[in-house]
Amino acid sequence: MSLDLALFTGINILLAWSVYLILLTGTLSFANGAFMALGAYVSGVLTAKFGIGYMPAMAMAAAASAVIGVLTGYPALRTRGIYLILVTLAITFFVQTAIENTKFVGGVQGMGGMMGTSFEIVYGSVIVVGALIWLLSRSPLQRVLDAVREDEHVAGAIGINVVYVRLALFGIGAALAAYAGGLYAHHMFFVAPDHFTIIVSVFIVLYVIMGGVNNMWGSVVGAVILTVLPEAIRFIGEWRQGVFGLLIVILLLFRRDGILPFRSVTARSGRKADA
Amino acid sequence: MLAEQVINGLVLGSMYALIAIGYSLVFGVLDKLTFAHSEIFMFGGYVGVLTVALGVPIWWAIPLAIVVAGIQGLITELVSFRKFNTPDGHITAALSSFAAGIVLIDVTQKFWGSDPKDLGIPNTIYTASTELFGLQIVYIKLAILIVTLLIMIALQILIARTRMGRNIRAVAESSTTASLLGIDVKRVTQQTFFIASALAGIAGLMLAMRGGFADPNVGLSFGLKALAIMAIGGMGDVRGAMIGGILIGVLEGLAFQYGLGKLSEVLVWVLMIVVLLVRPNGLFGRSVNRELRA
Repeated sequence: MSLDLALFTGINILLAWSVYLILLTGTLSFANGAFMALGAYVSGVLTAKFGIGYMPAMAMAAAASAVIGVLTGYPALRTRGIYLILVTLAITFFVQTAIENTKFVGGVQGMGGMMGTSFEIVYGSVIVVGALIWLLSRSPLQRVLDAVREDEHVAGAIGINVVYVRLALFGIGAALAAYAGGLYAHHMFFVAPDHFTIIVSVFIVLYVIMGGVNNMWGSVVGAVILTVLPEAIRFIGEWRQGVFGLLIVILLLFRRDGILPFRSVTARSGRKADA
Repeated sequence: MLAEQVINGLVLGSMYALIAIGYSLVFGVLDKLTFAHSEIFMFGGYVGVLTVALGVPIWWAIPLAIVVAGIQGLITELVSFRKFNTPDGHITAALSSFAAGIVLIDVTQKFWGSDPKDLGIPNTIYTASTELFGLQIVYIKLAILIVTLLIMIALQILIARTRMGRNIRAVAESSTTASLLGIDVKRVTQQTFFIASALAGIAGLMLAMRGGFADPNVGLSFGLKALAIMAIGGMGDVRGAMIGGILIGVLEGLAFQYGLGKLSEVLVWVLMIVVLLVRPNGLFGRSVNRELRA
């Protein structure tokens, strides 16, 4: 596995987790490609045009994306089900069109001049984020999220502010997607609007769904498989794209609940003595 | 000029409407979203290319598009929907159909290349026109409008008057009840997919006929817009999809007329969000309490 592929895998794991976090509250977001684009452009502009350091730029990109995520999420999260999917798809279209029509960041031509990234930064981030999500899954907060996901009316009745929880996780997911987008931009040294099409958003969701939605490891497995698979079947040559699509269809058919379907141990079931 | 843009908008809108009806039928009957639909629409254009290559009269492309797209719809149903019938399976099915769409794009590009492919019919077909009430009417646009109108009438009769249509409506209302009453739900599902895909195929063919070329990239831009149109018209409501499609087509035509062509790409998504916030069930939708669980 080349370094390049390893870095993409790490970035895609972070992206998958950004969808996973939002999905913890039962919200399926097809907007994470857009937040990724925001992160890539904000961190790119800050480092390349304003000379701000790497980490501050990434933090500011994540913060900006969280704010935009909450602002767009507030109306979007009022819708449910298929409507929510459509609204989040719309966010992806808006961001892409906005970037294409902004001369300052190069429009359709894209922009370059980022500073690069390293294996340590990417996988350090994966480990830190992974540890935080693992801690979350062992904490009482996970039970709040479970309640919101499984039945929002019951959750509301026991005093959980459902809208607030949903919005908070949407913002956190947006921030994480932006951070991953920033890593992507710096690794590529160049970004263009067509790096962040609707297909990217759909694929990030696919990582999570294919891996399994019930635990954080499913996202990792999904992201790794779907990033490495196109390279692994490179020997097929020109039919690669079609075979890749076919393999996705087959994998989904044979593992209908995801590759890792088990539900992870939460705080409650972890402590045997209580109950 | 204005009237001309309105006509262009109607032509565009009738294609949107045909695709949106397909999404709407599938969603209404199955509660499921199919992303392969927009690629089946894309392939409709290549049925036109195929027809010209075969050397048969170009009008044969219409029945051919119905059959080819219909079969593609049946295959999509088989590989991406048949097995995913749990509540959680909805989104898996949608993603699986997305992957099926990728396969279809790749196959198309392998046979005809990744650039738009010229249909290779004489140019006169795009310029032949007649004057009507002081307006230049190009025959091909007129033909598209007439074909769309005929299809919509036929569809309305099919849904409202025939036994097949009654079964489809019954399954849309409640598939469990329908199956208890002896309706073969699997067969109705297949019929729905066939009809929906055939409509998309015809729309793709018409788009190619109007422009003179088939484009492998049209699915994700043009096709997905129809998804937003379905939401504007009302989920699972065929008439809503018809009116919504034509409305958006004309609005885009007008936006073009007033120099807002760039905005037309996002116009439909903005409208969708506004409609969803004001009327969550779409402009014409009844209050249905369905939700697609993530």
